[in-house]
Amino acid sequence: MTDYNPTVFLVDDDEAVRDSLGLLMKSVALASQSFASADEFLAEFDPDCPGCLVLDIRMPGMSGMELQQKLIEKRAILPIIFITGHGDIPMAVEAMQRGAVDFIPKPFRDHELLDRINKALEDDQNNRDTLLEREEVEKRIEELTPREKQVMELVVQGKANKVIAGDLDVSQRTVEIHRARVMEKMKARSLARLVRMVMQIQEQSF
Amino acid sequence: MHGQTERPAADNQSHAVPEWKALLDAAVDAIIVIDHRGLIETYNSAAEVMFGFSAQEVLGKNVSLLMPEPYKSAHDGYIHNYLETRSARIIGIGREARGKRKGGADFAIDLSVGEIPTADQPKFVGIVRDITERKRSEEEVHQTRERLAQFGRLSTLGEMAASLAHELNQPLTAIATYTQACQRLIESGRGDDDQILATLKKCDAQAQRAGEVIRRLRQFVKKREAGRREVSCDDIMHDLAALAEVDARDNRIPLTIDVARGLPNVMADTVQIQQVILNLIRNGIDAMMNMDHYYQGILVSVNKFKKDQVKIMVTDHGSGMTKETEKSIFHPFFTTKRSGLGLGLAICRSIIESHGGVLSFKRNPSGGTTFYFTLPIISETKA
Repeated sequence: MTDYNPTVFLVDDDEAVRDSLGLLMKSVALASQSFASADEFLAEFDPDCPGCLVLDIRMPGMSGMELQQKLIEKRAILPIIFITGHGDIPMAVEAMQRGAVDFIPKPFRDHELLDRINKALEDDQNNRDTLLEREEVEKRIEELTPREKQVMELVVQGKANKVIAGDLDVSQRTVEIHRARVMEKMKARSLARLVRMVMQIQEQSF
Repeated sequence: MHGQTERPAADNQSHAVPEWKALLDAAVDAIIVIDHRGLIETYNSAAEVMFGFSAQEVLGKNVSLLMPEPYKSAHDGYIHNYLETRSARIIGIGREARGKRKGGADFAIDLSVGEIPTADQPKFVGIVRDITERKRSEEEVHQTRERLAQFGRLSTLGEMAASLAHELNQPLTAIATYTQACQRLIESGRGDDDQILATLKKCDAQAQRAGEVIRRLRQFVKKREAGRREVSCDDIMHDLAALAEVDARDNRIPLTIDVARGLPNVMADTVQIQQVILNLIRNGIDAMMNMDHYYQGILVSVNKFKKDQVKIMVTDHGSGMTKETEKSIFHPFFTTKRSGLGLGLAICRSIIESHGGVLSFKRNPSGGTTFYFTLPIISETKA
């Protein structure tokens, strides 16, 4: 839907691991950016930058789990893939429960990691598209008059023009005019489309 | 009854009925009653022993006499606040504080305070327990823990193994990723020779790094002759007991340590042997976690074995091992624990073997498992 130029953000305290991951991304023509600590990443974090985060779960200073928590607090939507050591499985399970996309134990096969990254990027793109769409729909709703909003709500509830006219104590003809304006301003070609848009707005989160 | 006679505060002990006085004097804890001004009315025998003042010396005096600063200056204020606001910081709760003996030395106490309601001003009863000993043993356990952690750097083999695995994992991950990236670069025709060469050099450096970790492990397990000296079995067990008891108590499993008297000395690295025993005890605790009969506990015994050895046995009353488990129990990376690495017993065995002993196990007739190992004693002629 939109131009999607994702970056794979790599956060690992081990220089060699970080460097080798960067090369792996390069070998499959994925843009990447490396950080030696969670703090470094957080300092440069831009919520509008699409991509995914490959995050070492165990690091000195701020751990991967703590970074995940910080990102959740910031309502960031960047998908996270944790890389873990042998003894970190219980921690990884907790990270998953908090919404991480996946985890992968070290050492791993390249395609195992790349599959997860591709999946994460797909998720990220979908999420961002949905967000954009929602913002667009919200913008259109802003442009409706209060009366038009009222009519739209009743239309979406499935009420017939005649019933709406009764509810609002106006003529059926007036309802028809409002309704046509709503469809036009919302750029909805059918009633089904309109219903889907309104429902999307009402769903607060993914 | 009240209001008819003016009661002299200092003389109040004589009011006590004989049973009451006997009860007070039989108590192990010091019991002191004060009036609303903080003046001492009752002072039992245990208090005389604990603080070193006789009852005659303190009756009628302000109880702050028995306190070091800052409690001493603050105490009148505490009572005053309580009488004003009725909000107590200590009444009915009890807490740790400091007391002061006659000679001026201050010491740790557990203090609990209750209010005695009377028709006019309230009185307060304080029960004081001397916890100097308890504090000292808490401090000892703490210090032993610190020392073990310092000398051995890590308090259990499991932790050591986990950190080792982590250190090995990093270079292995880097090597695997470098080589896989190289393959992709070559296959896609996007890699130039310089880049491939540079990456191969990095792989080499990472392989050396992994080798260095292995070298350090070898040194730790095999070549630590320097840490070995003549020690008594009592010394080995003494520090260990404090640590192991904390573990056992945390898991509510009784632990008995039984060291035979008059054992000869052994040549050993104390910390390593302690780590082995601690590891065996922790395995025992794990084996007993889900048992109903855990009250049978874990027994650690140290006895002379044959002419020239000491045998250390760790007996649990846990679930025992299956035949398959028994076969593989010493294999590296074999584990039955959810978050274990399977290195504990393998490392234990190499430590014991490097000491010239043998680590083995047997089933108990009454259930559970006994792990035991031997250590050669220092021959008398040599000593």
